[in-house]
Amino acid sequence: MMTETAPVDAEAHEAFSALALTALDDVYRFARSLTRDEADAEDVVQEAYLRAFRSWTTFQPGTDVRRWLFTIARNVFLRSRERGQREVTLDSDGSEAVDAAMATANWVRTGLDPILASAEIGPAIREALEELPETFRSVVVLVDLEDQSYEDTAAVLGIPIGTVRSRLFRGRKILQERLVTHAQDAGLIPASGPNRRDA
Amino acid sequence: MSTDPKASEKIDCRGAYEKLFEMLDGELTNDVEQKMRDHVSSCPHCFTQADFEKRFLHALRALKGSGGCPGGLRDRVTSALRAVGFRG
Repeated sequence: MMTETAPVDAEAHEAFSALALTALDDVYRFARSLTRDEADAEDVVQEAYLRAFRSWTTFQPGTDVRRWLFTIARNVFLRSRERGQREVTLDSDGSEAVDAAMATANWVRTGLDPILASAEIGPAIREALEELPETFRSVVVLVDLEDQSYEDTAAVLGIPIGTVRSRLFRGRKILQERLVTHAQDAGLIPASGPNRRDA
Repeated sequence: MSTDPKASEKIDCRGAYEKLFEMLDGELTNDVEQKMRDHVSSCPHCFTQADFEKRFLHALRALKGSGGCPGGLRDRVTSALRAVGFRG
Protein backbone atom coordinates (compact mmCIF):
# COMPACT_ATOMS: atom_id res chain seq x y z
CA MET A 1 0.00 0.00 0.00
CA MET A 2 1.38 3.38 -0.99
CA THR A 3 2.02 6.00 1.63
CA GLU A 4 0.30 9.16 0.45
CA THR A 5 2.69 12.05 0.83
CA ALA A 6 2.22 15.01 -1.50
CA PRO A 7 5.50 16.53 -2.71
CA VAL A 8 6.50 19.73 -0.98
CA ASP A 9 9.47 21.08 -2.93
CA ALA A 10 9.19 22.97 -6.21
CA GLU A 11 11.44 20.50 -7.99
CA ALA A 12 9.03 17.67 -7.25
CA HIS A 13 6.11 19.71 -8.58
CA GLU A 14 8.06 20.42 -11.77
CA ALA A 15 8.96 16.76 -12.14
CA PHE A 16 5.32 15.76 -11.67
CA SER A 17 4.31 18.24 -14.33
CA ALA A 18 7.04 17.17 -16.75
CA LEU A 19 6.67 13.42 -16.27
CA ALA A 20 3.21 12.57 -15.04
CA LEU A 21 1.12 15.21 -16.77
CA THR A 22 2.74 14.63 -20.15
CA ALA A 23 1.39 11.07 -20.01
CA LEU A 24 -2.20 12.31 -19.68
CA ASP A 25 -3.22 11.22 -23.20
CA ASP A 26 -1.87 7.71 -22.61
CA VAL A 27 -3.54 7.40 -19.21
CA TYR A 28 -6.83 8.66 -20.65
CA ARG A 29 -6.71 6.15 -23.52
CA PHE A 30 -6.04 3.35 -21.06
CA ALA A 31 -8.84 4.52 -18.75
CA ARG A 32 -11.17 4.83 -21.75
CA SER A 33 -10.39 1.25 -22.72
CA LEU A 34 -11.22 0.10 -19.20
CA THR A 35 -14.44 2.07 -18.72
CA ARG A 36 -15.69 2.17 -22.33
CA ASP A 37 -17.26 5.49 -21.40
CA GLU A 38 -15.73 8.93 -21.86
CA ALA A 39 -17.20 10.53 -18.73
CA ASP A 40 -16.23 7.56 -16.55
CA ALA A 41 -12.75 7.60 -18.07
CA GLU A 42 -12.34 11.28 -17.21
CA ASP A 43 -13.36 10.57 -13.60
CA VAL A 44 -10.86 7.71 -13.40
CA VAL A 45 -8.10 9.90 -14.85
CA GLN A 46 -8.78 12.76 -12.44
CA GLU A 47 -8.83 10.48 -9.41
CA ALA A 48 -5.74 8.63 -10.65
CA TYR A 49 -3.80 11.87 -11.01
CA LEU A 50 -4.85 13.06 -7.56
CA ARG A 51 -3.61 9.79 -6.11
CA ALA A 52 -0.47 9.95 -8.19
CA PHE A 53 0.27 13.46 -6.95
CA ARG A 54 -0.28 12.51 -3.32
CA SER A 55 1.97 9.48 -3.82
CA TRP A 56 4.55 11.19 -6.01
CA THR A 57 7.27 10.77 -3.40
CA THR A 58 6.91 7.00 -3.84
CA PHE A 59 7.59 7.17 -7.56
CA GLN A 60 11.10 5.96 -8.33
CA PRO A 61 12.86 8.32 -10.74
CA GLY A 62 14.17 6.50 -13.77
CA THR A 63 11.35 3.94 -13.82
CA ASP A 64 8.50 4.00 -16.33
CA VAL A 65 6.06 6.69 -15.22
CA ARG A 66 3.40 5.43 -17.62
CA ARG A 67 3.50 1.98 -16.07
CA TRP A 68 3.16 3.57 -12.62
CA LEU A 69 0.20 5.70 -13.74
CA PHE A 70 -1.49 2.80 -15.55
CA THR A 71 -1.31 0.80 -12.32
CA ILE A 72 -2.92 3.62 -10.34
CA ALA A 73 -5.61 4.16 -12.99
CA ARG A 74 -6.40 0.48 -13.07
CA ASN A 75 -6.75 0.42 -9.25
CA VAL A 76 -9.02 3.48 -9.33
CA PHE A 77 -11.13 1.82 -12.02
CA LEU A 78 -11.48 -1.40 -10.03
CA ARG A 79 -12.50 0.49 -6.91
CA SER A 80 -14.99 2.60 -8.86
CA ARG A 81 -16.82 -0.49 -9.98
CA GLU A 82 -19.09 -2.33 -7.63
CA ARG A 83 -16.86 -2.29 -4.59
CA GLY A 84 -15.99 -5.72 -3.43
CA GLN A 85 -17.42 -7.27 -6.58
CA ARG A 86 -15.20 -10.08 -7.65
CA GLU A 87 -13.83 -10.00 -11.13
CA VAL A 88 -15.27 -12.60 -13.41
CA THR A 89 -12.66 -15.24 -13.90
CA LEU A 90 -12.21 -15.91 -17.57
CA ASP A 91 -8.90 -17.67 -17.40
CA SER A 92 -9.72 -21.15 -18.49
CA ASP A 93 -7.00 -23.63 -19.18
CA GLY A 94 -4.57 -22.20 -21.74
CA SER A 95 -4.25 -25.52 -23.47
CA GLU A 96 -7.98 -25.59 -24.24
CA ALA A 97 -7.80 -22.06 -25.65
CA VAL A 98 -5.01 -23.05 -28.02
CA ASP A 99 -6.90 -26.13 -29.23
CA ALA A 100 -10.09 -24.13 -29.75
CA ALA A 101 -8.28 -21.42 -31.67
CA MET A 102 -6.42 -23.95 -33.81
CA ALA A 103 -9.71 -25.58 -34.72
CA THR A 104 -10.96 -22.37 -36.31
CA ALA A 105 -7.63 -20.99 -37.51
CA ASN A 106 -8.20 -21.52 -41.22
CA TRP A 107 -11.73 -20.08 -41.06
CA VAL A 108 -10.46 -16.97 -39.30
CA ARG A 109 -7.47 -16.52 -41.61
CA THR A 110 -9.45 -17.03 -44.79
CA GLY A 111 -12.16 -14.68 -43.57
CA LEU A 112 -9.87 -11.91 -42.39
CA ASP A 113 -7.23 -12.02 -45.11
CA PRO A 114 -9.23 -10.07 -47.70
CA ILE A 115 -9.96 -7.16 -45.33
CA LEU A 116 -6.77 -6.86 -43.24
CA ALA A 117 -5.37 -4.15 -45.48
CA SER A 118 -8.71 -2.45 -46.18
CA ALA A 119 -9.85 0.94 -44.88
CA GLU A 120 -12.69 -0.72 -42.95
CA ILE A 121 -10.37 -2.71 -40.71
CA GLY A 122 -9.42 0.13 -38.31
CA PRO A 123 -12.95 1.06 -37.19
CA ALA A 124 -13.90 -2.62 -37.11
CA ILE A 125 -10.98 -3.47 -34.81
CA ARG A 126 -11.79 -0.52 -32.56
CA GLU A 127 -15.39 -1.69 -32.26
CA ALA A 128 -14.37 -5.29 -31.58
CA LEU A 129 -11.88 -4.09 -28.97
CA GLU A 130 -14.59 -2.08 -27.19
CA GLU A 131 -16.73 -5.21 -26.99
CA LEU A 132 -13.94 -7.39 -25.62
CA PRO A 133 -14.42 -8.35 -21.95
CA GLU A 134 -12.32 -6.08 -19.73
CA THR A 135 -10.14 -8.95 -18.55
CA PHE A 136 -8.80 -9.40 -22.08
CA ARG A 137 -9.15 -5.81 -23.27
CA SER A 138 -6.81 -4.33 -20.69
CA VAL A 139 -4.04 -6.79 -21.63
CA VAL A 140 -4.45 -6.21 -25.38
CA VAL A 141 -4.53 -2.42 -24.90
CA LEU A 142 -1.43 -2.37 -22.70
CA VAL A 143 0.64 -4.63 -24.97
CA ASP A 144 -0.58 -3.63 -28.43
CA LEU A 145 -1.56 0.01 -28.02
CA GLU A 146 0.61 1.21 -25.15
CA ASP A 147 3.79 -0.74 -25.97
CA GLN A 148 4.07 -2.38 -22.55
CA SER A 149 6.09 -5.60 -22.26
CA TYR A 150 4.47 -8.75 -20.89
CA GLU A 151 6.37 -8.19 -17.64
CA ASP A 152 5.22 -4.57 -17.29
CA THR A 153 1.64 -5.54 -18.15
CA ALA A 154 1.73 -8.20 -15.45
CA ALA A 155 2.92 -5.58 -12.97
CA VAL A 156 0.25 -3.04 -13.95
CA LEU A 157 -2.57 -5.56 -13.70
CA GLY A 158 -1.18 -7.45 -10.71
CA ILE A 159 -1.35 -10.81 -12.45
CA PRO A 160 1.27 -13.49 -13.24
CA ILE A 161 3.10 -13.17 -16.57
CA GLY A 162 1.65 -16.53 -17.66
CA THR A 163 -1.83 -15.03 -17.27
CA VAL A 164 -0.77 -12.10 -19.46
CA ARG A 165 0.29 -14.61 -22.13
CA SER A 166 -2.94 -16.58 -22.00
CA ARG A 167 -5.22 -13.50 -21.83
CA LEU A 168 -3.36 -11.87 -24.70
CA PHE A 169 -3.63 -15.02 -26.80
CA ARG A 170 -7.33 -15.40 -26.10
CA GLY A 171 -8.08 -11.70 -26.41
CA ARG A 172 -6.46 -11.47 -29.83
CA LYS A 173 -8.21 -14.64 -31.01
CA ILE A 174 -11.59 -13.34 -29.84
CA LEU A 175 -10.89 -10.10 -31.72
CA GLN A 176 -10.10 -12.04 -34.89
CA GLU A 177 -13.27 -14.12 -34.68
CA ARG A 178 -15.40 -11.02 -34.10
CA LEU A 179 -13.77 -9.29 -37.05
CA VAL A 180 -14.70 -12.19 -39.30
CA THR A 181 -18.29 -12.02 -38.09
CA HIS A 182 -18.26 -8.25 -38.60
CA ALA A 183 -16.95 -8.65 -42.15
CA GLN A 184 -19.63 -11.22 -42.89
CA ASP A 185 -22.38 -9.00 -41.49
CA ALA A 186 -21.10 -6.09 -43.57
CA GLY A 187 -21.16 -8.25 -46.69
CA LEU A 188 -17.41 -7.86 -47.16
CA ILE A 189 -16.89 -11.63 -47.23
CA PRO A 190 -19.30 -14.53 -47.80
CA ALA A 191 -21.07 -15.82 -44.70
CA SER A 192 -19.83 -19.22 -43.55
CA GLY A 193 -19.31 -20.95 -40.25
CA PRO A 194 -16.01 -22.19 -38.85
CA ASN A 195 -15.04 -25.64 -40.09
CA ARG A 196 -13.84 -27.37 -36.98
CA ARG A 197 -11.95 -29.99 -39.00
CA ASP A 198 -9.66 -27.54 -40.76
CA ALA A 199 -6.83 -27.26 -38.24
CA MET B 1 0.26 -21.87 -21.28
CA SER B 2 3.83 -23.07 -21.11
CA THR B 3 6.58 -20.86 -22.51
CA ASP B 4 9.94 -22.46 -22.69
CA PRO B 5 10.14 -26.00 -23.95
CA LYS B 6 13.17 -27.93 -22.84
CA ALA B 7 16.25 -27.36 -24.94
CA SER B 8 16.08 -30.86 -26.38
CA GLU B 9 12.44 -30.55 -27.48
CA LYS B 10 11.55 -29.71 -31.05
CA ILE B 11 8.61 -27.46 -31.71
CA ASP B 12 5.68 -29.02 -33.56
CA CYS B 13 2.84 -27.18 -35.33
CA ARG B 14 0.71 -26.94 -32.20
CA GLY B 15 3.59 -25.61 -30.15
CA ALA B 16 4.40 -23.14 -32.90
CA TYR B 17 0.80 -21.97 -33.10
CA GLU B 18 0.75 -21.41 -29.32
CA LYS B 19 3.92 -19.33 -29.42
CA LEU B 20 3.50 -17.34 -32.62
CA PHE B 21 2.31 -14.22 -30.83
CA GLU B 22 5.13 -14.44 -28.29
CA MET B 23 7.63 -14.74 -31.15
CA LEU B 24 6.16 -11.74 -32.96
CA ASP B 25 6.12 -9.77 -29.69
CA GLY B 26 9.81 -10.53 -29.09
CA GLU B 27 8.97 -12.23 -25.78
CA LEU B 28 10.70 -15.58 -26.29
CA THR B 29 14.11 -16.57 -25.04
CA ASN B 30 16.77 -16.71 -27.76
CA ASP B 31 16.91 -20.48 -27.98
CA VAL B 32 13.13 -20.91 -28.15
CA GLU B 33 12.87 -18.12 -30.71
CA GLN B 34 15.47 -19.85 -32.87
CA LYS B 35 13.54 -23.14 -32.68
CA MET B 36 10.38 -21.27 -33.62
CA ARG B 37 12.01 -19.58 -36.60
CA ASP B 38 13.48 -22.90 -37.75
CA HIS B 39 10.05 -24.55 -37.61
CA VAL B 40 8.11 -21.67 -39.15
CA SER B 41 10.53 -21.28 -42.04
CA SER B 42 10.33 -24.96 -42.90
CA CYS B 43 6.56 -25.50 -42.43
CA PRO B 44 4.34 -23.90 -45.10
CA HIS B 45 1.24 -24.03 -42.89
CA CYS B 46 2.92 -22.32 -39.92
CA PHE B 47 4.64 -19.84 -42.25
CA THR B 48 1.26 -18.79 -43.65
CA GLN B 49 -0.20 -18.52 -40.14
CA ALA B 50 2.76 -16.46 -38.91
CA ASP B 51 2.43 -14.09 -41.86
CA PHE B 52 -1.28 -13.69 -41.12
CA GLU B 53 -0.73 -13.00 -37.40
CA LYS B 54 1.95 -10.45 -38.26
CA ARG B 55 -0.43 -8.57 -40.55
CA PHE B 56 -3.22 -8.78 -37.97
CA LEU B 57 -0.99 -7.27 -35.28
CA HIS B 58 0.08 -4.55 -37.70
CA ALA B 59 -3.59 -3.63 -38.30
CA LEU B 60 -4.36 -3.74 -34.57
CA ARG B 61 -1.36 -1.60 -33.65
CA ALA B 62 -2.28 0.98 -36.26
CA LEU B 63 -4.82 2.17 -33.67
CA LYS B 64 -1.91 3.17 -31.42
CA GLY B 65 -1.91 6.78 -30.33
CA SER B 66 -5.39 7.50 -31.64
CA GLY B 67 -7.88 9.13 -29.28
CA GLY B 68 -6.08 11.56 -26.98
CA CYS B 69 -7.81 13.02 -23.97
CA PRO B 70 -10.70 15.46 -24.49
CA GLY B 71 -9.75 19.13 -24.58
CA GLY B 72 -11.14 20.07 -21.19
CA LEU B 73 -9.71 17.15 -19.26
CA ARG B 74 -6.20 18.56 -18.93
CA ASP B 75 -7.59 21.75 -17.36
CA ARG B 76 -9.92 19.76 -15.13
CA VAL B 77 -7.10 17.56 -13.85
CA THR B 78 -4.77 20.51 -13.35
CA SER B 79 -7.46 22.42 -11.42
CA ALA B 80 -8.16 19.40 -9.21
CA LEU B 81 -4.44 19.02 -8.54
CA ARG B 82 -4.04 22.69 -7.66
CA ALA B 83 -6.88 22.36 -5.19
CA VAL B 84 -4.74 19.85 -3.28
CA GLY B 85 -1.54 21.88 -3.45
CA PHE B 86 -0.02 21.26 -6.88
CA ARG B 87 1.99 24.29 -7.97
CA GLY B 88 2.73 23.30 -11.58
